[in-house]
Amino acid sequence: MSEQAIDKLSSVFREVPNVQFKQTHARRTEVKLRADTLPAILALLKGRSYIHLSAISCIDRPEFDEFELVYHIWSHEEKNLISAHIKIPKKPGEFVSVHDIYTPAAYFERDIHEMFGVKFEGAPNLKPFVLTEWQGPPPMLKSFDTEKYVQDTYDWLDYQPQWWKEVQEKGGGYAPEDRRAVIMED
Amino acid sequence: MVDKTIPIHADSNTDVTCRNIDKEERTLWRKVIDRIADHCRARSLFVLHYCTGCGAIELPPAITSRFDSERLGMQPMVSPRQADLLLITGYLSVKTLKRVILSYEQMQSPKYVIGFGSCTINGGMYWNSYATIKRLEAYIPVDLYIAGCMPRPEAVQQSFIKLMEQIDNGEANAWKDYYRNYDRYLAKQQALFGDEWHTHVDVVAEAEHYQLLTEQTTGQHTKLLEKFANQYAMHDFSTVQIPEEEKVE
Repeated sequence: MSEQAIDKLSSVFREVPNVQFKQTHARRTEVKLRADTLPAILALLKGRSYIHLSAISCIDRPEFDEFELVYHIWSHEEKNLISAHIKIPKKPGEFVSVHDIYTPAAYFERDIHEMFGVKFEGAPNLKPFVLTEWQGPPPMLKSFDTEKYVQDTYDWLDYQPQWWKEVQEKGGGYAPEDRRAVIMED
Repeated sequence: MVDKTIPIHADSNTDVTCRNIDKEERTLWRKVIDRIADHCRARSLFVLHYCTGCGAIELPPAITSRFDSERLGMQPMVSPRQADLLLITGYLSVKTLKRVILSYEQMQSPKYVIGFGSCTINGGMYWNSYATIKRLEAYIPVDLYIAGCMPRPEAVQQSFIKLMEQIDNGEANAWKDYYRNYDRYLAKQQALFGDEWHTHVDVVAEAEHYQLLTEQTTGQHTKLLEKFANQYAMHDFSTVQIPEEEKVE
């Protein structure tokens, strides 16, 4: 990205308090900002050719008890991707929808609501999107034990065909418990 | 002294000799007919492929000119109602399993299922995923599994030949198991989808039609379906009142 473009960006970020930004790679800008200033920044950037919201990612950070939301916006003119990182507390886990600024946000927010349980105020539709058959807690949370859920829900280990018994007679079979833990750590 | 009378409308295998009749037993004439029918059926299979898994990549070479499964009389079919063979090409999530069961129940019997790859056998590489089912045969009966991740078109072709052999010998009878043990299959389906799960196909009535109704066909799980019966009941047109002005004098 040219110097001129960076100047243009810093003129945007100067208008909002507590913004850190750096150019991590060619065409990648990482911005860290306070959650309440995000809609203002997005509205400003949209007016400066960053018209494409390509994704919203959510990261569960149980060690800080918060969610990190990353808004990726792309400019076709600058050919630059801005990733705006914000952090919101896990309780109550609510944030405002940016649907009024970027219309495609509706799908991303619906997806994040389903996978992480984050509520977006003002989002047009937060009904189940992919997991329409899902009854349990949001599955992408790190507190959700996938393996335990699988063992409780599916009885797949009951399948004991003859060939498997023959393998076990020869000394094969599942890895022992202690060895299994080592594999997981690797 | 047992009073033995020959019923006028006899079953095809009614035996008037002094022995118990095996319900599975077929008359010689029936055997010949079935043998011919099986022989023909094995050589003209219409294939419905459910391509949500990676086996979808292996099917184009298996079906088109490189391996050309039409040599075996197999052809892709667009709708489940005309298809004989359902290919489950890889992993199934809970959501797609619902659609598979809907497609499977729409198919006309006799119908056959081939499960591709390790995902349909025990979950494969998705063994610890919350979203995918692990064993396909718990939910619908499966005739053949192809081992591998993913099986090559040669293996797919081999399985087609194997299935044809089984049909020809009258051994590919997994579809009968669905009617005989419907309650067991439904129990597994309801465990995933909840008690409100129902399809528009009346499997118990079909089991009766194919004379495959057993004690395991109905049970406590099929009882839950009864409350949905009205939803799909045929509309009784005899009670419809024609408005006065529409009557033709």
